[in-house]
Amino acid sequence: MNFEVSTIVALGSGYLALLFGIAFVTERGWIPEKIVRHPIIYVLSLGVFASVWAYYTSIGNAQRDGYGYLAGSIGISLAFLLSPLLLRPLLELTRTYQLSSLADLVAFRYRSPWAGTASTLVILIAVIPLIALQIRAVSDTAFLLSPEAEQGSFAIGFCVIITLFSILFGTSRRAGRTQYDGLVMAIAFESLVKLIAFLVVGAFAVYGAFGSFDGLDQWLQEQPELVASLKNTDYFSSFHVMALLFFTAAVAMPHMFYVTFTGNNGQRALSFASWGLPLYFLLLSLPVLPILWAGLQSGSSVQVEYFPVIIGAAYEAPLISLLAYLGGLSAASGLIIVITLALSNMCLNHLILPIYQPKANEDIYRWLLWKRRTLITAIIWLGFLFHYLPSEQISIQVIGIVAFTACLQFMPGIVAILYWPVANKKGFLWGLGAGVLIWFLFLMLPLLSDTDPLALVSVNWREITALSLITNCVLFVAVSLFSTSSDAERSSADICTLDTIKRRKRSGLVAKSPRDFIKSLSKPLGGKTANREVARALKDLKIDQNDRRPYAMQQLRGKLEANLSGLLGPSIAREIIDGYLPYSIVSEHGSSDLNVIENRIEAYRSNLSGMAADLDNLRRYHRQILLDLPLGVCSLSTDNEVIMWNRAMEQFTQLDSANVVGSQLIDLSDPWLSLFANFIDDDANHSYKYVFELDDQKRTVNLHKALIEQTSNPDSIHEGVIILLEDITEMEILEAGLTHSERLASIGRLAAGVAHEIGNPITGIACLAQTIRDEYDDKELLNLAEQIIEQTDRTSTILKSLVNFAHAGTNKTQYVSEIVTISECMAQAQTLVSLDRKSKELSLRIDCDPDAKVLGDSQRLLQVLINLINNARDASQANGEVLLQARVLGEIVEIAVVDEGIGIPLAIKDRVFDPFFTTKEAGEGTGLGLSLVFSIIEDLGGDIDIISPANEDTGGTRVLLRFPCYHSDSVTH
Amino acid sequence: MYIPRSILVLLLIIYLLFLLSVDWINQSAGGWYRPFFVGFIVILVASWSHREQDSDEF
Repeated sequence: MNFEVSTIVALGSGYLALLFGIAFVTERGWIPEKIVRHPIIYVLSLGVFASVWAYYTSIGNAQRDGYGYLAGSIGISLAFLLSPLLLRPLLELTRTYQLSSLADLVAFRYRSPWAGTASTLVILIAVIPLIALQIRAVSDTAFLLSPEAEQGSFAIGFCVIITLFSILFGTSRRAGRTQYDGLVMAIAFESLVKLIAFLVVGAFAVYGAFGSFDGLDQWLQEQPELVASLKNTDYFSSFHVMALLFFTAAVAMPHMFYVTFTGNNGQRALSFASWGLPLYFLLLSLPVLPILWAGLQSGSSVQVEYFPVIIGAAYEAPLISLLAYLGGLSAASGLIIVITLALSNMCLNHLILPIYQPKANEDIYRWLLWKRRTLITAIIWLGFLFHYLPSEQISIQVIGIVAFTACLQFMPGIVAILYWPVANKKGFLWGLGAGVLIWFLFLMLPLLSDTDPLALVSVNWREITALSLITNCVLFVAVSLFSTSSDAERSSADICTLDTIKRRKRSGLVAKSPRDFIKSLSKPLGGKTANREVARALKDLKIDQNDRRPYAMQQLRGKLEANLSGLLGPSIAREIIDGYLPYSIVSEHGSSDLNVIENRIEAYRSNLSGMAADLDNLRRYHRQILLDLPLGVCSLSTDNEVIMWNRAMEQFTQLDSANVVGSQLIDLSDPWLSLFANFIDDDANHSYKYVFELDDQKRTVNLHKALIEQTSNPDSIHEGVIILLEDITEMEILEAGLTHSERLASIGRLAAGVAHEIGNPITGIACLAQTIRDEYDDKELLNLAEQIIEQTDRTSTILKSLVNFAHAGTNKTQYVSEIVTISECMAQAQTLVSLDRKSKELSLRIDCDPDAKVLGDSQRLLQVLINLINNARDASQANGEVLLQARVLGEIVEIAVVDEGIGIPLAIKDRVFDPFFTTKEAGEGTGLGLSLVFSIIEDLGGDIDIISPANEDTGGTRVLLRFPCYHSDSVTH
Repeated sequence: MYIPRSILVLLLIIYLLFLLSVDWINQSAGGWYRPFFVGFIVILVASWSHREQDSDEF
């Protein structure tokens, strides 16, 4: 096998240039977002974990351990298959608090910059051998393909290109926190390439080396010792330890943490990856055995790990060798790129920033960007230097095991983050320190020195791994149990632990508005950065810049801490936030923030079952009762913060609960502030018929309050106050209307009585006048008598109409069926209306068809006309004209009452017939007139219609009444 | 500690499959690809058990 150096260089460079191209077009947005953000891309990017270890080392593992080589794939697959236990809660934590590395996570949980620094140092020391392993595999395989070339030059060239790629696509000018879509896409492409290459090489091993599957089986039958070694796996030794190493690596290895959590697009992608990644590793493991056997059959003397590269040449298929080399290059480059990016962030946040921070007047983003680029370069070249250190006799398997065993030391700390709130930083640091010390002395040191590490490994690396892990666990638990956790640690434990929902009590902040936030943060960050960070947090939270609600300010503080944590690491972020945005009072631990508890239970409720689910249903039921109560409900905390503002309260006050909840009472606008503040200060628990003005209208409410009794803290008198608000404005209007109606009815009865009393003397006067007319001949006297009789007749008619109208207002349910001549009815209505003083200036015109007759109750119809005329009069200007019109239209008599008034607005047209609906001033109208009209018309078998405006130019209203026409001939028939 | 039911089912199936398949895989006359067959079944069950996980937002 002897390829030209230029061929190998061109292949490698061309492939890496293709990666540049993919990352570039993705960054430019030329690939649709639905493809870039598809869960398959996420799964493929997670394939970065299948590094040189899975690609080359698995062949050697298969030869030594048989099926034991699957342990690594099984370990990482189990971590994803059981993602709800570990990865999903961690994903939520890292996304909420912008934690981009394991060091960030432990520093956040154990509230210790030292925990972050120690973790970074351990991971850095552990991972450098892994980077070195990749570089060595690439240079070794390139040397195998082209033995004439100098091996070191391949490694240098590879490192130069990878450094450039990582700097160009791994560090962004966009504040260093956005998702690197180009990078993720390139990594996914690399995973696809290595999978396809490995599968093709595996297929070639079966068909190229053995002719077919039958040929392979036949060859295996001739090699019984191979089959025996394959199936005699020692399941109780290396298999389990290896699986555990890889299970932990899913979180502890920086490149896996980076892709799993930082590159994640949501829970859906993780659910997809929970079975997608195991499938990827299953497919990647499938060709291992055929490749191993093909290599063995070829009799090659090359290191067994590199069989994928040599079998092509061995069976005279050089292209297969090149393809295998390309797959290995993909595996190595992908891991180095991601691991250096993750490590550079960790080193920056936990090694550099704690001792050296940019000045406030510097461009922080630019400063961070260049520090990160420098670190990337340093880490890659550190790996390059390290790859010279171990002797060439040491297999790449040993280097990999050393790296993975170091990361295993983080397992107790990671599990405790989610499941053991008692754990603290002392326990974590002691456990990690002891475990790492054993690892360094017995695994790392022999690797670096010339002591025979292979011999050490053959002694039993599993026992060293187990010893380090057990020591770590024992010290972690013991120290955590026998030392006390700080208040901050307990608070973090509450946030991280799945089984607790305790939260710190709400407490006020010194900064009261976003402007105060910017002012405070300008000191450590500079004005420009502080402005940008606060604006970003406000935008994320959708909070207005003028918002001053305490709850919103607390949310803003939390968001700023999370965002700064993504930028500077959790330790520095916490230091800045605590130092420059302090609480006004020291908060108590163990008390509760109801909003946080409710949000958490709401998010968690799909996981509740049994009694917990029943309790949650009960909680929701009670809460819903309060929310849907037709009375306004407002609950206030002891410091007068609004906790609840139900729907009825929203409707009445026109204040959205989202804007009110979390506010202080004093932040409410008037009249609500004075209404509630006065009532709370008042000793009485009830306030009836409290009248105030809202939008220039009088509103009347009843108020009730009760103290919420404290149940858990005996030192506190109460936990707040609940206020009920009952809007009785409508009821007050109804009561006023009924009182007015009653008064009118009394007046009506009085008028009927007065009319009756006046009627008797009038009759007497009429009789006397008739006597004079009959018994005297004096012309002048007769003339006077005629006039008296005429005037008394007129007076009698008026009185009769008045008495009839008064009688019509009684609760009469039986209608008289009589022939009603509309013209007479209209004349009578005109007479009665003219008695009203307000009607003096009204011009009432009657235009009536004399044949217009209907069968019905004349008094009821009279009442209808009077009500309609009165309404028309009230709507008309002074000296306005009202037209009473009656026409016979075939079998229908149409009566119209037309005015030239203001008309009826469209918005209230449908409500004018509602009882007690009126647009008149209080006391002016009862709101019963048109309702009564509608009722009478229905009873008389007619219908009513309102046309407004009656005329497009002049406006006004036309009320149309329609009744069946009465024809005398029809009755005759 | 909350463990979704589907994950409990998955764990149970993995355990039962492990018990049932160890001897089958290690039969001397058995095909070398048998562990992959078992792995594929586990992944099928996993894809089923994770199908409703999307709504569980912690």
